[in-house]
Amino acid sequence: MKNYLKLVNFEFNRIAKLFAVLLGITFVMQMIGVIVKSRQYLNIINENVFEAMMSKAQFLEQVGQLSFIDIARSIWFIAPIAICAAGIGFYIFLIWYRDWIGKNTFAYRLLMLPTSRLNIFYAKITTILMMIIGLVAFQLFLIPIEMSVMKAMVPDEFRHDLTVNDLLASWPELSIIIGSSIGEFFLYYGSGFLVVSILFTSIILERSFGWKGIMAGVSYSVLAIAVWLLPLFLQEFVLHGFFYPIELLILEIIMGLIVLTASIWFSRFLLMKKITI
Amino acid sequence: MKKYWKSIAVVTGIILSIGTFYVNSAISAENYPELTVQTVNGNAQEMESLIIEGAYRTLSSMNYLGTDLKITAQGSSYNSPSLLDRVTGYYPTVIKELKEANRSFMRGKNLAANQYFEDNQFLAYANIDQKISSFGSNKFNFEIAVLNKADDEVNSFTLKVPAEEGLDHVFLEDVQMLEDKIYLITRNMLIKNDDYNDEKHVYEIDRVSKKLTNHEALVEITPFKANLHTHIQLVEGSPTAATEQIIMVKTEDTVMEDTESTRVTDSKKEIVAYNLATKEIETINVPNLNFEENQLSFVKDSTIYFTRVEGQELVITPYRLGASQVEKDFKIQLHSTTENDHPESLMISVKEDRLYAVSRQIDSNSNGEVAVVDIQTGKLLFQGQITLGNSSEKHEDFEIYMHEIYVKQ
Amino acid sequence: MIEVIEVEKSYGRKKILKGISFTAKKGEITCLIGMNGVGKTTVLNAIMALTPINKGKILIDGSPLDKTALEKITFIPDTITMLPKMTIAEAMEFMNDFYTYWNQERANELLGFFRLNRKDRISSLSKGNAAKVNLLLGLALDVDYVLMDEPFSGIDMFSREEITNVFTSHLIENRAVIITTHEVGDIEHLIDKVVLLDDGLVTKEFSAEEARENEGKSVIDVMREVYQ
Repeated sequence: MKNYLKLVNFEFNRIAKLFAVLLGITFVMQMIGVIVKSRQYLNIINENVFEAMMSKAQFLEQVGQLSFIDIARSIWFIAPIAICAAGIGFYIFLIWYRDWIGKNTFAYRLLMLPTSRLNIFYAKITTILMMIIGLVAFQLFLIPIEMSVMKAMVPDEFRHDLTVNDLLASWPELSIIIGSSIGEFFLYYGSGFLVVSILFTSIILERSFGWKGIMAGVSYSVLAIAVWLLPLFLQEFVLHGFFYPIELLILEIIMGLIVLTASIWFSRFLLMKKITI
Repeated sequence: MKKYWKSIAVVTGIILSIGTFYVNSAISAENYPELTVQTVNGNAQEMESLIIEGAYRTLSSMNYLGTDLKITAQGSSYNSPSLLDRVTGYYPTVIKELKEANRSFMRGKNLAANQYFEDNQFLAYANIDQKISSFGSNKFNFEIAVLNKADDEVNSFTLKVPAEEGLDHVFLEDVQMLEDKIYLITRNMLIKNDDYNDEKHVYEIDRVSKKLTNHEALVEITPFKANLHTHIQLVEGSPTAATEQIIMVKTEDTVMEDTESTRVTDSKKEIVAYNLATKEIETINVPNLNFEENQLSFVKDSTIYFTRVEGQELVITPYRLGASQVEKDFKIQLHSTTENDHPESLMISVKEDRLYAVSRQIDSNSNGEVAVVDIQTGKLLFQGQITLGNSSEKHEDFEIYMHEIYVKQ
Repeated sequence: MIEVIEVEKSYGRKKILKGISFTAKKGEITCLIGMNGVGKTTVLNAIMALTPINKGKILIDGSPLDKTALEKITFIPDTITMLPKMTIAEAMEFMNDFYTYWNQERANELLGFFRLNRKDRISSLSKGNAAKVNLLLGLALDVDYVLMDEPFSGIDMFSREEITNVFTSHLIENRAVIITTHEVGDIEHLIDKVVLLDDGLVTKEFSAEEARENEGKSVIDVMREVYQ
């Protein structure tokens, strides 16, 4: 346990810079977005109300109030989220390969540490999870700040104020990232954890068997995902809705746990017996 | 400790930010208005068996989906946005009770109340399985399951829907059972001469031989013909209940089409009844009753209930099919501040010897009506107002639309 | 004692080890000698469970390669095992963090012995110094078995001398050392036991001292006989 925590800390310190860069990009781009979008809107007000002498009521009827959702749907807001997602996706692979590839083979040291080799797996997956949830937490912290910047720029009568919950409710795609309840949060990130563990197992397969390992890794991923989603497929194509939704959810959770256990067990076996430096 | 600061900072940040968010949203989620039924007069016991189902939404939020709610004598309960509620579903009480009583029979079935029929002996279910192909050869199958309550035996089978020229869509509207026959009342959409035609169709299926024994079109219309817009509506009592009479309302609107809007200049209503036992179809003329003023609100056994609003009173006129005149009407004094002058502003339901009337709409500024009347004597047994429980609490502007009155056994 | 018994290993269709066996005892320096590509590094990796073997057994003090067994060994590969951006001090701290049997005193001693600057970054080290840091990190662990892969390859003469001096010092007393090399010259006088590898097999296993005393032959002489 102690070694696991030390390894997590070590791995996290290694990505701290990248993490900080992602936080920075998110902060800067979204802030610019809030300011640019609010300015644009203020300009429209100026052109219509002050220059073209449109009445406020008429303006609001034709153009409408500015709501944070208008900002959230802009490229300024979405692009940093996409960049973060891409960065993490890339890092899921890099977190293993950078230890093998290059002149300095740190993998030697990691595998020789006087601790279970599975701790390396756990530490790396924890680091990925910390990074993902850290970015989400930062986004949650940032949205109210961005909303208050918008409040400061746009006068009351031209503004439609939302809470973060309203934002999620009116933009369901965003709730995949945030989840409208804590239970959902655990389900989404539990599934994410499972997917990353499957990917990790595939990466370890590749590290163990080379070219053949890539094939094995792809097959393993397909198999693991298929087993995990088996109840859903059965429900849809074979049983035609036999399960009640709650049963399906429980089955999916059980299958997820089975696949997760299998992935971890298989990774442990590979790390102990099959890994090649 | 120094080398751990980054991890510690990030973990602390995660816990604080995500924790705060979910704690806050848990608090704000409970902020639905609490509605209670205040007795105006009568016996509040009459309210006990009543479940009023509706949907709530606020005007300011951009959440277009309403939140389901139920109002009972105990107050209001909302379908919380919690995952569990969303997964298990917040079904109408009819379906919820069917599910609880027949968990294994209800498996894999659509959970729409009108697809079920229930009496003391049987619980029947029907569904239409459509395979729409882009080459015009659509295939339709009836999926039928009947649970015999006496021995818990389930009899399920599939039947081909007899092919009809140009059959485009089939919608199941009601399931009935009479003796050993199952009746499916459907809305069929046909393409005839490049026009969409709409018809009410009945299929008679023998439960024992599992064969289609008869089928016929009840009413056929062309929905849009020049400036005549026509539609037929099936009027039901409670969706799973048995009835021998299938009642339909045919509405013909003459419309004026301007460049920007269409305006109804004339509206003609006709009530059509089909008797499942005798297979007779007839147009119903109720003497001395104007269908434009009186809304056909409910059907129970062979009685049709019409409603209209007169001043501050809701007038309910029962009519027994085949009778030469309407029966004595009931009047319910209305109290709420809502605009009740439209006959559709209240919905009614009849169960055994009680008639229940409930406002269709409540909002932040108006209360809703609830009334229970004895249909034998016409006596008002209970009258109440659906009001905001805690008026000191500040709420956003909201609207609630009621859509179902459920009366417990 | 490290026992390598009938170990076979293939990479794809190519069989690198065709059943090799040898032992390494405490207090002895065992030298695996062979041409490049003969599988010397593979043997060391296999002992550390860093590459799977197809057949055979490897035993440490009679037990198979599990966590306890592996913690008795320190392996010094021919590349440095620390992150390039770390300083020597950070690398030592890392070792101290994870290994309960890290010997800080010995590490400091080696630091002085090799005249290394603890503030230097690993990425900035010369090849010789990098090898010394690698040696330092490996030897400062209090374990019974030391594996060294080509400690002298590509290293300048002076560094070589310093590293050679380690072998005669108390730093490896009472330990079993397995060292691989393809040029035996510098350390010939230090080694106790020679295992000659060729074509995936042990062609000869002999005591260097016996060869010298009984036959009057140096290790190189024996190698010549074997390979010609």
